[in-house]
Amino acid sequence: MLKKISIFLMFTILVGCTQSSNDGNSNQETATGGSSGNIFAGNNLNYIVTTNAGGGYDAYARLIGRYLVEKLGGDNVVINNVPGGGHIVGTNTLWKSKPDGLTIGTFNAGLIYNQLIGVKTLQFDIGKFSWIGKAAGEARSLVISEDCPVQSMEELIASNETIKLAAAGVGSASYIDTKLIAEAFDLNVEIIPGFEGNEGEMSMMRGEVCGQFGTTSSVQPFVDSGYGHFIITIGGDVEGVPNALEFTTTDKARRIVNLIGALSELGRVSAAPPGTNPEVVERLREAYYNTMNDPDFLAEAEKMNLPIDAAYGDEVTQLVLDALDQPAETIQIIADSISAE
Amino acid sequence: MDFEPIIQALLNVIASPYNMGMLLLAVPIGMFFGAIPGLGGKLGIVMMIPFVFGMDPIAGAIFLIAMHAVVHTGGSVPSILFGVPGTGADAATVVDGLPMTRKGEAGRAMGASLGASGIGGVIGGLFLIAILPVLRPVILAFSPAEFFMLAIFGITFIAMLSGNSLVKGLLVGFFGLMLSFVSLDPNTGAERYTFGLLFLWDGMDIITVILAMFAIPEMIALGVEGGSMSLAGKQKGTAGYKGVFTGLFDVFRHWGLTIRTSIMGAFIGMIPGLGGDAATWICYGHAIQSSKNPEKFGKGAVEGVIAPETANNSKEGGSLLPTLFFAVPGSSGMAILLGAFVMLGIQPGPAMALTGMDIVWTLIWALMIANVVAVIFFIAFVPMLGYLSYVRGSLLIPFVLALTFLGAFLGHRSWENLIVLFVLGMFAYFLKKYGWPRPPFVIGIILGPIAEDSYHKAYQLWGYEFLLRPGALIMIALIIGSIGFYIWKSTRPKIEGVEEHVG
Repeated sequence: MLKKISIFLMFTILVGCTQSSNDGNSNQETATGGSSGNIFAGNNLNYIVTTNAGGGYDAYARLIGRYLVEKLGGDNVVINNVPGGGHIVGTNTLWKSKPDGLTIGTFNAGLIYNQLIGVKTLQFDIGKFSWIGKAAGEARSLVISEDCPVQSMEELIASNETIKLAAAGVGSASYIDTKLIAEAFDLNVEIIPGFEGNEGEMSMMRGEVCGQFGTTSSVQPFVDSGYGHFIITIGGDVEGVPNALEFTTTDKARRIVNLIGALSELGRVSAAPPGTNPEVVERLREAYYNTMNDPDFLAEAEKMNLPIDAAYGDEVTQLVLDALDQPAETIQIIADSISAE
Repeated sequence: MDFEPIIQALLNVIASPYNMGMLLLAVPIGMFFGAIPGLGGKLGIVMMIPFVFGMDPIAGAIFLIAMHAVVHTGGSVPSILFGVPGTGADAATVVDGLPMTRKGEAGRAMGASLGASGIGGVIGGLFLIAILPVLRPVILAFSPAEFFMLAIFGITFIAMLSGNSLVKGLLVGFFGLMLSFVSLDPNTGAERYTFGLLFLWDGMDIITVILAMFAIPEMIALGVEGGSMSLAGKQKGTAGYKGVFTGLFDVFRHWGLTIRTSIMGAFIGMIPGLGGDAATWICYGHAIQSSKNPEKFGKGAVEGVIAPETANNSKEGGSLLPTLFFAVPGSSGMAILLGAFVMLGIQPGPAMALTGMDIVWTLIWALMIANVVAVIFFIAFVPMLGYLSYVRGSLLIPFVLALTFLGAFLGHRSWENLIVLFVLGMFAYFLKKYGWPRPPFVIGIILGPIAEDSYHKAYQLWGYEFLLRPGALIMIALIIGSIGFYIWKSTRPKIEGVEEHVG
């Protein structure tokens, strides 16, 4: 009996180990193709995702990766989820990966904020990644609940009453965005941090906070259900909602809105480690372009509710470099928004 | 109420060979993930996402929910047999499950856990159906002020889990609370006890901490003492079907407790912000409080297995509701599930009540059916598993330790967690050796962050007046009442409270 049990245990461990080496953190999906004289032929493409499996970044990478590897003539795409530290751990990993073209990654472009203020745990320089492209932007909007005493941007700017806005944890891109908006329009708001995911919507339904600033797509169901409405938007058009730029009266405000706009526009970016052979980067960009224009890919993306609004190579690099080029005043505002009470 | 969509959803699950096949496939996979220490449901879903990627949304969602629903049915096995819980929620089962194994009652404990899990899952599902019409006001009645008081309520249970020395319990509990402060300060974003290490930014990994607190000390102790987990001889033990059915019968014998903890579990699971792990501990505390003989807890009381196991499975149903209707996950596992739903093309959120009720009903049915299937499936295995408690330590320890280290690594795939596991594990061994209780530690580290986060939010929203909100006042009354009741009970003659147990 004991022997049987040991065999059973052994089997369990073996299965466990197989799971770990081929686990959900790294998935293999077969693609056809393979041409000769090609560094991708006979090789897997590693796609680093800086979040856990599930959710937006992961979904985009899995879908894009599958088509990308096919266009490159490689074997499989291996999704490598490296979560932690608000995208920093995974981005550090991508930065240190071998620049042979076989490893690429996707992360939150909001890390540009962290780089601007010189967060110490960043081991990378976002401007030096070999940018491949972006699949879609992530427009931001300020949503206000129907119970809020202010119902438009004009009323919010003029409000004497302090308005409470929900935001994610202090230091997150969402929190910094909200602080920047408050600063740009000199709003009389109090930001309550710590509302992750859709908790802010729930807080609005409970009547605790009035609104929140975040990605338009994540709040859209809340708005569609009639609980609130957008009052400004940045980095994308929402029907009937004014762009934040319309309310700017100072250079400082315009710079801030443009910075948030640039980050919104970057959205779902992909990059290779710095120092990747330019010819190889060119091949990656080309394959990325072909993927984004493949009707099958677009059909699948639509089925999965993943909007596609692509940009490529140099255009993305320029967007990143522009976003990184900020005057000291803006950087100070970002720094203050993290260190302030 | 229109029953047609509800029946249609049931048919959606059972009349479709594909969907039912997915469910039947998911159940053993979920139990496997639960039974291997350190894997658990969260990692299970993460690992299965590639499998469901691109699948029909309903089939994919049924697969994931069925898998997630039964994780804790499997999770009770290592908790009971080896004292090695796979997750924070399973840890409550160790407190009485392991002493039962020590006494040679592994079969009975697993039978009780199996029955409790199945019934908990089904009652949890029925409770959800009953509460659906008033779901919105009920969920929205809980604000950060109430989350804070609920977390404090849970923290007072440290007293009940302290064994024979309240001082030791409090010290260990506060150590757990202190470790929960390792992370970025949620209010200022400043690094706190992170020593510049990036892997500590997200806080201590709960799975690693639980494994360190329970798995490592049990295995070291087994190695030092020699022998097997069960101290009773094989002849005296109840590892076969006889023990299993005794345990199943126990669940019905304690039907009042079973029903109460099922509903409590589903309810606590339903309140986002408290987290599912708290549900099992609160239900365990309730079992002690409501027992006529609280002194037998920690020494192998079958109620101590039934209460957390019912809650374990019913909370999963509970936490499904805020996940679907508010897109706010009720537990860490549900957070991953939420991401997976989005990936499948199902968009949880307020719109679900208007357009997605068919999906909601389908998932609730899948949840209940999976719980029943798991029981049937498991009955075949349980007697054999019971014999594992008689395996010699020298054969068992390498396997369990290998799985423990694997589990600690896999969660975040960071090798740093292995060091945490080792250091905390050694610490926990000495706690065990010198008779210090370990459950208060788990309470501290699970509820600490919830208390802190909700305190900051409540304070910023209302100042200290948050304590005067009606919900908070009710909770304060509940806390005072429960402490008072416990003191009254334990000062009555003969009963001296729970003795040191978690051996």
